[in-house]
Formats: sequence, C-alpha cells, structure tokens
Amino acid sequence: MGDRPDDVAKSDAPRGRARGGIAPTGKGARSFVETGLPVLAIGVVVLLLPLFLPTFVSSLVTKMMIFALFGMSLNLIWGYTGIPSFGHAAFFGLGGYGAGVLVLRVDITNFWLGLLFALLLTAAVAAILGFPAFRVFGVGASDNPIYFLLTTIAFGELLARAAIALRPITGGSTGLAGIPHPDLGFGITVTAGRYYYLVFVIFVVCLFIIYRIVNSHYGYALRGIHDNERRMQALGYNTWLYKYTSWIIAAVFGGVAGVMFAYFGGIMVPNNLSMITSDIAFLVVILGSTTTFFGPIVGSVAFVGVEYLASLYLPERWPLILGSLFVVTIMFIPQGLGVMILKLWRRLLYGAA
Amino acid sequence: MALLEVRNLSVHFGGLAAVHDLSFVIEQGERLAIIGPNGAGKTTTFNLLTGQLKPSSGEVVFKGEQITHASVFARTHLGMARSFQITSLFPHQTVYVNALIGLQGTQRSRYRMFRPLFKDKALEMAAQELLESTELWDLRGEIASSLAYGQQRKLEMALSLASKPDLLLLDEPSCGLTTTESADITARIAALGSMITVLMIAHDMDLVFGVAERVILMHYGEIAAEGTCDEIRSNQMVRDIYMGSRKTLGHAR
Repeated sequence: MGDRPDDVAKSDAPRGRARGGIAPTGKGARSFVETGLPVLAIGVVVLLLPLFLPTFVSSLVTKMMIFALFGMSLNLIWGYTGIPSFGHAAFFGLGGYGAGVLVLRVDITNFWLGLLFALLLTAAVAAILGFPAFRVFGVGASDNPIYFLLTTIAFGELLARAAIALRPITGGSTGLAGIPHPDLGFGITVTAGRYYYLVFVIFVVCLFIIYRIVNSHYGYALRGIHDNERRMQALGYNTWLYKYTSWIIAAVFGGVAGVMFAYFGGIMVPNNLSMITSDIAFLVVILGSTTTFFGPIVGSVAFVGVEYLASLYLPERWPLILGSLFVVTIMFIPQGLGVMILKLWRRLLYGAA
Repeated sequence: MALLEVRNLSVHFGGLAAVHDLSFVIEQGERLAIIGPNGAGKTTTFNLLTGQLKPSSGEVVFKGEQITHASVFARTHLGMARSFQITSLFPHQTVYVNALIGLQGTQRSRYRMFRPLFKDKALEMAAQELLESTELWDLRGEIASSLAYGQQRKLEMALSLASKPDLLLLDEPSCGLTTTESADITARIAALGSMITVLMIAHDMDLVFGVAERVILMHYGEIAAEGTCDEIRSNQMVRDIYMGSRKTLGHAR
C-alpha cells in the first residue's frame, strides 16, 4: 500500500529565513531604532553631501541612486514575485530614449512631460511584451526560469537593434546625444550641481512607493507566488495577473531610472537597452541580496564604487572586473551584502543573536 | 441538486488513459472517499476537478455551473478548495503570514496595492481564528519550513479551509503522519460539519472508514466499485484489487 512520497519533508531547505526580513513576532512591525533611525540618518547625510564634498562625489552618488532604483525595480519582480529578468535594461533604455526623443526630436523640453511620456511608453511596451513573456514563464516557473531569461535577453537585444535601425529618431548606433539639463517648468532649469537633488527627490518618492507596494496585500501575494504559485492559485489568486502587473510596475520604475540616467549623462546609446546594461541591474541585485528591501541600494553603492575605482586604476580591464565581481559575489556572499549588513546591524543593536 | 457532478470525464496522456469515462455525484454535506492502488488515477481526478489539468472529454458541474474549463482560482471563488498530498505551504513565510495570504485569496482586498497587509484588522482577526482552530496560534511567528512535519500538515489543512469552501478536496490528509497525528486529523475532518462537503483520497483505512459515508474504488482510471463503507469492506473485488485477500496471499506464497 506504500504510496508514501519520498520527499515527506520536502521543504527542509532554508530554515528560519524570512523573506523581506519579517520580525520574529510574525508581524512586519519593527522598532524605530532598528529601521527608522538608519533611514533618517542616511537620508540626511545624502541630502547634505554636496555641501561638503567635491562635485565628483555627488555625481557618483547620483549614479548610485539611479542604479539603486534600477536594481530595486528589478528586485520587485525578482526578489518578490520570483521572476528574474535578464532584459530589464529594455525598460531602462526605453525610459531614457523616451525622454530624450521628446526633448530632442519633438522639442517638448518640460521634464515632467518627458518623464510622463517615458513612463507611459515603458508601461505600454511592458504590457505588450508581458503576453509572450508569461507564456514562457508558466506556473511555478521560478524554479526553472532559464527559458524566460533567454526570452527577456531577446527583448533587450530586439529593442537595441530597433534603436540602431531607427536612425532618424534615435540617432542610430551613435545614440541620442546632447540631452539638455532638465527644465522643470516655471522657468526653473536644473543645473549640473542641482540635478543631484532632483534625483534624490525622485529616488525617495519611488522608494516610498515601492516600499508600500511590497508590504501591501498585493505585495504579499507576490511573495506567495514566489514561494508557491500552485498553492496561490488553489487559494483563489489569479497568479498570471499578479505576475503580469508586477512586471509592468517593475518596468515603469526601471523607466524612471532610465529617464534620470538620460539627463545625468546627457546621452543614450543602444547599449543602454541591451544585455550590458541589464547586467548592471542583475549585479546590483545579486550584490545587494534579493531577500531584503534595501539590498539593491547597498548593491548599487558597491557597484558604482568598484566601477569608479576601476576607471581610475584599470580602465582597460573593466569587463574582467565586472565578471570577477559576479563570481566573487556568488561564491563568497551568495546571500548578498544586504543580508550581511542587516545581520551585523541587528547584532549591534540586540547583542549576539 | 448535487453539489458536484462528474460526467464521463476522461483524460489521456498520449496513449495512456489516466482517467477514463469517470462519472459520479457528490451530494451536499456528503463524505466521499476515493481509494485505489497506485496509478489508479486518483490524484489525476483531483487535478481535473480543481482545474490543474484539463480533461480530454467529459464535464464537471459544480453547484449547477459548468466548470469543466474554468481556471483553478475561479473554482476556488465558486467554493472549492483542496489540500495537496505533498505539503504545499509558503515555506519562507511565517505561519501567520501563511494564514493571512491564505485568507485573502478570496477577498477583494487581495489586489490592494498601497494598504499594508498588517493593518487589516478584519483579516488579522480571521487569521487568529483560523490558527487557533488548528492549534497553530502559538507557532504563528515560526517560519513555515521550520515547523515539524505534523504541524506542517495542520497548516496545510488550515490553508485549505481558509477560503471557507463548500467542497473540500483532501489529497491524502494523513500522509506521512504518525498514528496519533493521523487519528487527530481524522477527528478534525469528521468534525467539519455538514456545511462542508468532503471528497478525499486516502490510503489510510482507519481514516476512510472513520470519516467516509461512501467509498469509490478506482482501478486503471475507472470506477471499479462504489458503495457504503460496509459494502466496500465486504466487496470481494475490492479485496482482490486493493486490500489483498487470503487468496492473493496464497498465490504470492
């Protein structure tokens, strides 16, 4: 009569690891000292930084914030819904190109209009690409997403090719150069020095929105899909709709990062749509950890820092350094820097845990 | 009107008829068990009823509604719920979050994007009630994967009951449990009340005869015998196919 499954204790793998850092009470509530204080402190330091430090530092921090948002938008689908995408730059690039094209080709210089247009564009493209994407990414595909990864690579390369081909609009392979300083309307033009603050404000707003989303009813449904999609369906969730909408939301935030990047460098090139840029998001998330909310911020700080050092000392060897960074992260800190920092911080607060 | 009506249901995997021309009816409040040897098509039948598999032919009617091709979640909203043979929880979440996710699956709030999950008082009350009724409330802070196996099975039951189903499909609820735990589960299923109709797959005869009013024996994807517990117990064919008799033992020797 033995119909006993071999995997009676199937779910023995990660003991005591709460995705998203849930406190041991089972509730999400954490003390002010544990989260509020460091968030405030870091916020104030970042806000005041340009007053004390040279411009190149604030330019680095700007880049950190842009890539942090880029990474967090990927982490929304990867860390929460369990959909790792290798083509997230498609949306980053679309955002940047969208804003750039509007300024340079249509002559609409208002920053907010450009941002809005870019976001609508990324949302629309994500909505279209979502249909084939989630045919490939079936129920419970987080366990084996390889075909989905290949598909998303194709999305990025496709858009990069399109950007090269549509020379009159996108500037072809030389890219879209000469994007001016953002014009905020009311006669306010943001100069290079002040752009830092614009990025800071947008970054904080996006951070807040993403935080609310991942801790909402909807956000916990996403985590549930990551853990066990079949069960979610049996519980009454239309999991396809969740995957599809979270994909679009992630694309939109990726687009915001792209818009900020376009104004930051003043140029968008086809590579900003392809694998090379997707790698940045991927690395930022891996470095930072997929299991903590703030992980990608840490990942981005580390990534931009290493990139800067490399550009100073070994500019020729950047691809090699990028590759080693990947390997070293996966071998030595597979959980990511975010988890490491969280553990250290909790040990500091509560003593040895 | 019958709660669930299965008419001539078949599914083929290539040339193999995993379930062939299956027809049966469950009345409101009934306790029906499906038994049968390995590979008889019991779990396949479950997957057809809950929508994980689509049938090659035949139809499933639930509460008078044609649901043969309805999605898994649509059936849950109609009042169907299932448990899984292999424990199927949210392993990285706490017991409490498991309950919250389980409960909001059939509520409108599940799409709320800006309301924190932990500020929903009604949902928290429901979660407490659900966990207290399954004696898991004290373990609410534990990560689901760190629970002992018997407790995981309890949580599995709790999740299956979370959507307040009219028809509960239990796939080997006592699978892998100790005798005591199994007796506990049996008592729980028996105590569910007549509002919940139960269809279960079981190998544990104590569970079957302790809970079920009617038993279906499946063999090679078809119904081989159907009847009350007593009828099934005394049915010669059931003995031959399933329970083993002196005769088959004799042959073996």
